[in-house]
Amino acid sequence: MPPLIQFDHVTYRHPGSDEASLPALKDISVTIDQGEWVAIVGANGSGKTTFARHCNALLLPTHGQVLIDGKNTTQATHLPQIRAHIGMVFQNPEDQIVATLIEEDTAFGPENLALQPAEIRERVATALATVKMSGQKSRPPHLLSAGQKQRVALAGVLAMQPECIIFDESTAMLDPRGRQDVLAEMQSLHSRGITVIFITHFMEEAARADRVLAMNNGSLAFDGTPKVLFADFGLLKECGLEQPSTLLLLNEIRRLNPQLAGLSTDFEQALQHIPQYSGKFVHKALDDEPTSGDTLIAVKSLNHTYLLDTPLAQQALFDVSLEVHSGAAHGFCGATGSGKSTLLQHLNGLYRPQSGEVRVGPYSLSDPEVDIKAVRRYAGLVFQNPEIYFFEQYVGDEIAYGPKMLYGNESLARRVKDAMELVGLDFDKFKDRMTYTLSGGEKRKVALAATMALQPRLLILDEPTAGLDPASRRNLHSILKNSQEKGIELILSSHSMGDITELTQKMTILSNGRSMRTGNTADLFNDEQLIEEASLGQPSVVRLASAMRARGWPIPQRVVKAEQLFDALQAGNGGQTHG
Amino acid sequence: MGEFDFLSRVPLGQYVPTNSVIHRLDPLAKIIMFGALLIAITFTPSRAGLGIGVAVLFIALLLSRVNVGFALKGLLAPLPFLVIIAIIQVLFYSSALDPVMLFSIGKLHITLAGVLAGAMLLIRFCALILCLSLGSFVISTSELLHGMTRILNPLNRFGIHTMDFIMVIQVMLRFLPFLAQSAERIAKAQASRGADWGGKKKGLLNRIKQVVPMLIPLFTTSLRRSENLALAMDARAYGILEHRTSMVEIHFSWMDGITVLISIMVSLAIFLV
Repeated sequence: MPPLIQFDHVTYRHPGSDEASLPALKDISVTIDQGEWVAIVGANGSGKTTFARHCNALLLPTHGQVLIDGKNTTQATHLPQIRAHIGMVFQNPEDQIVATLIEEDTAFGPENLALQPAEIRERVATALATVKMSGQKSRPPHLLSAGQKQRVALAGVLAMQPECIIFDESTAMLDPRGRQDVLAEMQSLHSRGITVIFITHFMEEAARADRVLAMNNGSLAFDGTPKVLFADFGLLKECGLEQPSTLLLLNEIRRLNPQLAGLSTDFEQALQHIPQYSGKFVHKALDDEPTSGDTLIAVKSLNHTYLLDTPLAQQALFDVSLEVHSGAAHGFCGATGSGKSTLLQHLNGLYRPQSGEVRVGPYSLSDPEVDIKAVRRYAGLVFQNPEIYFFEQYVGDEIAYGPKMLYGNESLARRVKDAMELVGLDFDKFKDRMTYTLSGGEKRKVALAATMALQPRLLILDEPTAGLDPASRRNLHSILKNSQEKGIELILSSHSMGDITELTQKMTILSNGRSMRTGNTADLFNDEQLIEEASLGQPSVVRLASAMRARGWPIPQRVVKAEQLFDALQAGNGGQTHG
Repeated sequence: MGEFDFLSRVPLGQYVPTNSVIHRLDPLAKIIMFGALLIAITFTPSRAGLGIGVAVLFIALLLSRVNVGFALKGLLAPLPFLVIIAIIQVLFYSSALDPVMLFSIGKLHITLAGVLAGAMLLIRFCALILCLSLGSFVISTSELLHGMTRILNPLNRFGIHTMDFIMVIQVMLRFLPFLAQSAERIAKAQASRGADWGGKKKGLLNRIKQVVPMLIPLFTTSLRRSENLALAMDARAYGILEHRTSMVEIHFSWMDGITVLISIMVSLAIFLV
């Protein structure tokens, strides 16, 4: 039997690119067999998606050949079989839903395969039940959450009953729970013998696969087990990747304390098998509670209903109340549909309170006479995936748009230059670059600079790291910390617990449009029940710390960052006698 | 604060699922019913016919269990234009047959027939708008597509691929709410960067200044999205076989037959009275 997918010296150039430029895929030879579970990792732009699209003949190689079940993808007569056998779930859930009703969208693939109506209905019902969307089958897709849409997209592929499903960053736009769902779905598909190939920026996810392919500048840099890849620091760095944070944690604590040296490298297993602490109890006090200054934002009993006064009205915020103080970066945490974005859009006056009160700095947004431009200048908002909305050709013009509208031409160049410096873009090198030629991380920086150029007191960010590769994510973190030190107050929402623990001192947990609790980030993340109720996941550092505390280790209560855990361990080592 | 609420301004796809008698009809029957009513109301020459038409519409509205207030609200936006057109009609109506003069302003003579014609015009347009919006309340986009597929089906015999045509419409309908949502996000992103959205300044020039920078990202996002959608459709085997099938099978019941019959008869009555 021929292998399921076989790449034979495949090189691919985008149409129109000349011979001198780097090809998108460079001489790739690889074989994937039926039933494998393969992760594909690599920096933004390393060729992962191009590779995946060769697997179902969406792209055809420039040189070399791709064989699916032994059939060459260049032959059009093989297409029906290839498309029926290899399904694909794309990154953006919005872009793959064709029909105006969920049920009919799921039927789209089988309809294209010209199956009988009765069989199509049966397949649709099974597929929707598998992804737990049966209850929503007659709703229009644009009213679903991102996670739900992604499950619908998967149902559409499942209904074709493929042998292999490729997930092209299908978890990138989902919250932790949605991501877990999709991963669990992959696991169960894999256990049913379906080949699963997935592209991801999350090393945690890649570590769960049986095999990892790492791409670097169009070449296949690594092919092997996750264990081997994540032990090769040189290669990881070269490819712009990193170890999964759980592995990093475990490796470090194993190094720091000989008692822990025997721990498993599997996080869940390690949690189970932490040994009882036998050293001296040295309690290292954490820094005091973050001091908070004056009130920056006060939200009182805020309600918001979309499409108010129509039959499609949908309430997004219910009686939300919270306060944000200066001097402590504030995070908003919550599953998709918890109302984070709606709330953030109240904070710079895009929405006015329908009922309740919003005060931002000196401005009351309930006041119809409030100077709305002044509010927006005071509280700069960066949207999720802001680079989609670029409209100027050149980087410099894009950044200059805001300050020009608000401050006019006076010292415009200086404002743009300052903003670019803040985000680490060289003014002379980047100001005349075309925006579309930038990498994903650079575009995000331009978008950030475009808001920074307004010189806001508050910087509000909606999902700042969504879709970025590990290196760009780290880079963005340091930019944001840096600007916080320069006196800009940070407010952000994120699905990534890493963003929240790294960047914020305080946070508000939202659930189903309600504000559940506001408090210290560390305290709230340590409240297991609260986190569970909000459908969030505890950060791995917090889980490890509390498992260790339970076994008598001297770990302070409010540990949320890896460094804090390491510090506590080191302090413990200082007074410890090994037995 | 409706400044950014573009979605509510999309007239299509305003399906209101109340599961009434009318909702449960076969889509083909619904399309024929509203089509016939629309044609009859448009072309009826008589006042009595128009009266019947309006009455039938109200009965249908009640049967559909859609909130009457909400349905009538759709008339508010175009009403000023309709009133202006009606006034023009009243002022410039000339008919030699029935010169019952009410009064004159300078050279303008207001006749009873003119006033009646103006009123007819106003009522006719309102009825048409009501008929269209009622249709969109009870016919979901997917039903519209299935109905159209069947209406166009005979063309397949002449070698015309109606499936592609229906798919174009389906994707368009799917895209409309998306376009509205994109426009909303772009407007918000630009407002956050100091554009005049949501501010106090109004006026045509400002409107144009707002819209121009919106068009570029709207085009690029739409193009990118249509490219992605095409890829997703390709990946799901669209167009690789000559014919597609459909999960929905035809269930044209006697109830639908009777509805079609009644609606055609009523339409004829409207037209002929």
